[in-house]
Amino acid sequence: MEDCLTNDMVKKILIVDDSPIARKMLKSCIPKDQGFEFHEACNGSEGVEKYRSVCPDVTFMDLTMPVMTGFEAIEEIIKHDRNALIIVVTADVQLKAIKTVLDSGAYMVLKKPLKKEDLLIALSKAQDTLQQVK
Amino acid sequence: MMETDNKQVLSSEELEILQEIMNIAFGKSAADLTDVIDTHVVLNVPFINVMHVAALPDYIRNYVKDYVNISIVEQRFWGRFRGDALLVFSSGSGKELIGMLQHGEGMSLVSDHIEILERETLMEVGNILIGACVGKVAELLKDIVTYTPPVIVLERHYEDAFSENDFAPDQTAIVLKTDFNFSEGNISGFLFLVTSNDSIQWLKDALQIFIEQYE
Repeated sequence: MEDCLTNDMVKKILIVDDSPIARKMLKSCIPKDQGFEFHEACNGSEGVEKYRSVCPDVTFMDLTMPVMTGFEAIEEIIKHDRNALIIVVTADVQLKAIKTVLDSGAYMVLKKPLKKEDLLIALSKAQDTLQQVK
Repeated sequence: MMETDNKQVLSSEELEILQEIMNIAFGKSAADLTDVIDTHVVLNVPFINVMHVAALPDYIRNYVKDYVNISIVEQRFWGRFRGDALLVFSSGSGKELIGMLQHGEGMSLVSDHIEILERETLMEVGNILIGACVGKVAELLKDIVTYTPPVIVLERHYEDAFSENDFAPDQTAIVLKTDFNFSEGNISGFLFLVTSNDSIQWLKDALQIFIEQYE
């Protein structure tokens, strides 16, 4: 799976999660040798700010966070950039939660605990989407 | 309050891992419940605290005091991860849940029957939430747990609902707390998982094994 992932398009990755462990778990699933540039935020509000300043190619977003939830942050980011590629990584796998974030413009939803294969497939799809857009 | 320094029992990293595991586990509980009830459970960030067991009743009372009257589903779980699960609902939640499970059909039962139905409903909802949450924590930490039948306390004043005698006073408790609200109906509450000395060393080892797969 790692072979099919090249970083021609996805270079900057933003991870928004209040849990340092969850951010670490996510980063550990991404190949280290492909030059991705990681940015991190610990709540939705900080995530929106970082999105504006960093302009990431892909954003991984948790939903249950203090200060500003992922639900709210997705809406803010999509208002700012309707082509934002936001991959929700969440423990909240209720159908209504998934429908809400997809309706808000999230690209896809991955369930916690994250599986490396799922994350790499998601990144690969994001790559394809970016290539089609550009 | 006799709170123990959290880091004396679990390191910062262990606390963070446990918090993330609780987050995943309660997310699973909520999803299982919404397979049965047409609602959305609004989740909040879970919180871990370590304290002397003697301080536990006051700690819990402090969180639930605004409800004044509460209903509780208590269930013990046994495995290498062992302890007590306390699911505390705000007053009136039992009746609201009956309505939701009956999909809004009106209740025309006499009060004795309503109380029986309320107990059964809380037991059912408690079984789902506690079973899914504790089960997921155990699964992630490679453990298997069994449960005692749930015990229901119905609509009791919060000060009388917990007794110091319910918990062994010389023990240290790890309290995993999450609070929740239902998007429909006036239902909210807390889930406390209380695990004591017996589980601590095993828990530390299990948390380390869990995180090693991500290193």
